[in-house]
Amino acid sequence: MENLPFLDKVAIVTGSSRGIGHAIAFALAREGADLIVTYRRSGKSAEKAEALCVQIRDLGRRAVAVQGDIAVKADVQRMVSEGVEALGRLDFLILNAAVAPFKPIEKLFEKELKALVGVNYTGNILCLQAALPHLEKSGGTVVFISSLGSRFYNPSYPLGSMKAAMEAVVRDCGESLRDRGVNINGVCAGLVKTDSFKVLRQLWEGIDQIPEALFLQPEEVADVVNFLCSPASKAIRGQTIVVDHGMSNRLYSGG
Amino acid sequence: MKQQLLKEDDVIREMKKALAETLRIDEDTIQADSSLINDLGAESLDFLDVVYQMEQTFGIKMARHQVLEHVEELFGEDTAVDPDSGELTPGAVALLKLRFGEESVEIPEDMDMDDVPTLVTVRSMSRAVLDILDTLPSACEACGATDWKRDDNKIACSACDAPGTFENGDDLTRAWLTKAQEEHKLF
Repeated sequence: MENLPFLDKVAIVTGSSRGIGHAIAFALAREGADLIVTYRRSGKSAEKAEALCVQIRDLGRRAVAVQGDIAVKADVQRMVSEGVEALGRLDFLILNAAVAPFKPIEKLFEKELKALVGVNYTGNILCLQAALPHLEKSGGTVVFISSLGSRFYNPSYPLGSMKAAMEAVVRDCGESLRDRGVNINGVCAGLVKTDSFKVLRQLWEGIDQIPEALFLQPEEVADVVNFLCSPASKAIRGQTIVVDHGMSNRLYSGG
Repeated sequence: MKQQLLKEDDVIREMKKALAETLRIDEDTIQADSSLINDLGAESLDFLDVVYQMEQTFGIKMARHQVLEHVEELFGEDTAVDPDSGELTPGAVALLKLRFGEESVEIPEDMDMDDVPTLVTVRSMSRAVLDILDTLPSACEACGATDWKRDDNKIACSACDAPGTFENGDDLTRAWLTKAQEEHKLF
């Protein structure tokens, strides 16, 4: 018999039409979960989200794709309620969606600042709030996807400051949601060669010199998310785990 | 200095190669005047792949930000895009006509910021590569020699083999914009 630890559980993964979110959604489904796939833009993202749903159904799991902008409260409420209505419950909320301009903080226009905070801070909290009643019912788990930008400077990565705020939210909500039976943790991912890497590559002199072995596969981030959704991690609360092949420890990198 | 080692044909040929590989399409379907988005089906992320390949091929740094982003950086927030409608300002439309040539593409007055990348063609992108290559200094920065050679698709010093040095695309865009503003007072 198949060993499917997440059988009959339902997960929502924001921004899962591509990149890390895509890998997380698929990995959860492979362990038995049914999936709510969310994406923002129509067109190719919609096609990719639908294609992912087909892949998940091929595994024998259920999947629905819902479109919306996490920065818009009405969208968030609709995405969560449509998803839960279709699949019946909610156990795992994976907050992966992110968007940011790639330029130094002091050069951000007001509209860029509003979008930066609106999606990456406000948007994630709106998702958490909308999902909370369902997660309380199921004794669910929230996993935030952060990045090394939360701890290390990059001149063109204002998203890093939002990731730092995110990790503070993980810490705070780890406590504030304790009595409601919901656990929260984060994954601080190193360098992953997804679409956004194509932008980073343009702005990071010397990124070509970083050994290939230090880059992460999206599936490796997904493995840790699976762990944080599993009972094996139940003693971990309010923590963000660095998952980077040790890259951030290599200030000394003498060969 | 206007270099003669790499010509428009050389750049367009390499651009077609890069596009065919990135978009997984047949090179023969790509024309010099094909719009990357409208005719070849490219997405904005595909631009990054093509730009990266052009940079590796020719040893240059292309612009990281598109021209209207530079406009707002130089002339102020909301000078290029109307914050309420999302449409380009009259100044921005006039500027794009200068930049892309009114005769080669149609630029509607109510163009949306998101549609600006549809104006990019194989030829206009090749032109951007050539503009950068044409900033080759008259003398090699490493040894002072004044004779350049072509080594595959890269320009190098004939005397010491040092790679050619060029201005980067963003600096060139800013310089062009400053000049266009002096001449046309668009913003």
